[in-house]
Amino acid sequence: MQIIDRQKVNKQIKELKKKYGDDRSALMPILQDLQEIYEYLPDVVMQETAHSLGIHPVEVEGVASFYSFLRTKEKQGKYVIRLCRTISCDLAGKSNVARQLENEMGIKFGETTKDGKFTLEYTNCLGMCDRGPALMINDRLFAKVDPEKASQIIADCRRDFLKSDFPKVVPSDVKKAGPILDHGLKPAEAIKKALSMSRSEIINTIRESDLKGRGGAGFPTAVKWQLAGAAKGENKYVVCNADEGEPGTFKDRMLLYEHTDFLLDGMTIGAYAIGASKGFIYLRGEYLYMKKYLEEALENRRSEHLLGKNILGKDGFHFDIRIRMGAGAYVCGEETALIESLEGYRGEPRNRPPFPVDTGFQGNPTIVNNVETFIDSALIIVKGYEWFNIHGTEKSKGMKIFSISGDCERPGIYEFPFGIKVSELLKEVGGEDAKAVQIGGASGHCISRKDFTRTIAFEDIGSGGSIIVFGPDTDMLQVAKNFLEFFVEESCGQCTPCRDGNPKLLEGIEMLENGRCSVTYLNELKKLGETIQNASKCGLGQSSPNAFLSIVDNFKPEILGPAAAGKLTKEERYARKR
Amino acid sequence: MAKILIVDDDEDFVSAVNLLLKSNGFDVAIANSRQEGMEKFDEDNPDLVLLDVMMDEPDDGFVMAQSLKKKAKDIPVLMLTNVGQVTGLDFDKDSEMVPVDDFEQKPIMPNILLDKINQLLGK
Repeated sequence: MQIIDRQKVNKQIKELKKKYGDDRSALMPILQDLQEIYEYLPDVVMQETAHSLGIHPVEVEGVASFYSFLRTKEKQGKYVIRLCRTISCDLAGKSNVARQLENEMGIKFGETTKDGKFTLEYTNCLGMCDRGPALMINDRLFAKVDPEKASQIIADCRRDFLKSDFPKVVPSDVKKAGPILDHGLKPAEAIKKALSMSRSEIINTIRESDLKGRGGAGFPTAVKWQLAGAAKGENKYVVCNADEGEPGTFKDRMLLYEHTDFLLDGMTIGAYAIGASKGFIYLRGEYLYMKKYLEEALENRRSEHLLGKNILGKDGFHFDIRIRMGAGAYVCGEETALIESLEGYRGEPRNRPPFPVDTGFQGNPTIVNNVETFIDSALIIVKGYEWFNIHGTEKSKGMKIFSISGDCERPGIYEFPFGIKVSELLKEVGGEDAKAVQIGGASGHCISRKDFTRTIAFEDIGSGGSIIVFGPDTDMLQVAKNFLEFFVEESCGQCTPCRDGNPKLLEGIEMLENGRCSVTYLNELKKLGETIQNASKCGLGQSSPNAFLSIVDNFKPEILGPAAAGKLTKEERYARKR
Repeated sequence: MAKILIVDDDEDFVSAVNLLLKSNGFDVAIANSRQEGMEKFDEDNPDLVLLDVMMDEPDDGFVMAQSLKKKAKDIPVLMLTNVGQVTGLDFDKDSEMVPVDDFEQKPIMPNILLDKINQLLGK
């Protein structure tokens, strides 16, 4: 048993408070750092943290137990191995790797070896969907892992000689660039231009471009900025949502690494336009390896007067950015859950209204935009709105960056205009023989060949950029099961339809697998899915049954297969009738 | 006779204010959206604009106020809205982002609206 010196803990917390502040919003980074020291969060550490921040210990435990990357019960191993279990890695052969990892270490998932060397866990989407199966060991990434490679990695860990697959930290996998990715701008060019404009001119330029949020919801960026700009408040905030957790999405990983300056330009322009002086990048826990790199980029910009006081000599324009790490909660991609997390609470979405543009971080006006949205904004300011809105459709202007994975010859990152047909996209990526395509990640829709002439646009099939291709041999029931397992795991549990409804849908999938689900019951499950869509509070709940419902609609003969093929015993048929 | 341009997508509100203003001797022009409002502003040369905030887009009133003040900064703009009650948005006059001459909350008593209009017209 570990003996923990309270005084020492207090001293450590005192130091961390100097770094992160002494209000509740410092809770998450303090817990994350303390976990680094103690390898988990023992009760005494949580109690002392609570005492130091003036909150109840139950609150701290409530937060710590919410996030899958924070451990409260058991000391984690020296090497925490997180194997991605989402659909793209699943299609690429995750199960074999999982079995080999268990064999090598003699433990099951969720366990730690007795010698304290390894902890083995599943995780949801590491953002390496085009290079699956992927796993992460502490902050190091490994891609295209097969059982043999898994064995070698474990051997390297045992010798404490673990080499990363990616010396450059993040692989570049752009397969097709366009006006956005080949923008040719110099860092800070956009800020210089913006500072020569008035705040309303900046927002009007964004409005004329008709830029809509690239995270998937498609809310007009200019409206968000205008409302936050008009809102009363001494302290306004700009938040970059870099919590790219949608299964099948990995374009922000590349954008954060290869277009860092343009992201920071976009955030700074947003701050100038709304009158903010503070900003955050909320970086998903799975991208921990990028934190150091981003911190260096921020430091460089401070030394070049692109962050800090009187930016580029503009009197009174002060703005700085801090990085806050997520901790493995998909729901924190929802903007109000993200704000709750930033404030040091469980990532549970808020009721709206009020909206973040008025009542965001700590009750202050806040804009939360996606990485790609900020980059697009910076480019639009320099190149003009016509440069942007000549691409795309009437209601979905501009180019879009897509993450494409699954059963296709050329997975990777592609830039296409909004309005591209699914069939055209499949031709580009070498996936013409696809049986189905999941558009918009786990929360999106699964379409079959009959819909391949449809377009990807907010007015047809909207998407934050995740495209997963399913080849002719894919078992669609397993696809639905994978997505539902994801939502059962990731539901924040706050509202009943999502918390209790999704396990019921998953149970239905298992009944289908066993040939025990009648058509009548399946229709009941569809109604339940629609209720979850209508009655859930946030985007996660509302979209969680989408994949299930679209797979049931588009692949009914296949998923009812065991029953149709007459595989049921007399008892099973009887059970189905009940 | 002073001409008032009402820009609001709430037809009941527009009809009531139209009646009130006409019965008090004002000329009235009406528009139901930001785009129509800008067209009517150019056509009718109003002496004062009564402006809603949330129309087709939630920020249409702010955007139109900015455009109006660029065109004719001396024409008073009175913003009439219940956006604060509906969305919680708390905003204030700001020469850059909310360039209006005054605010009033909806619903509004007729005498208060008339007083405010007369005050802004310098009567």
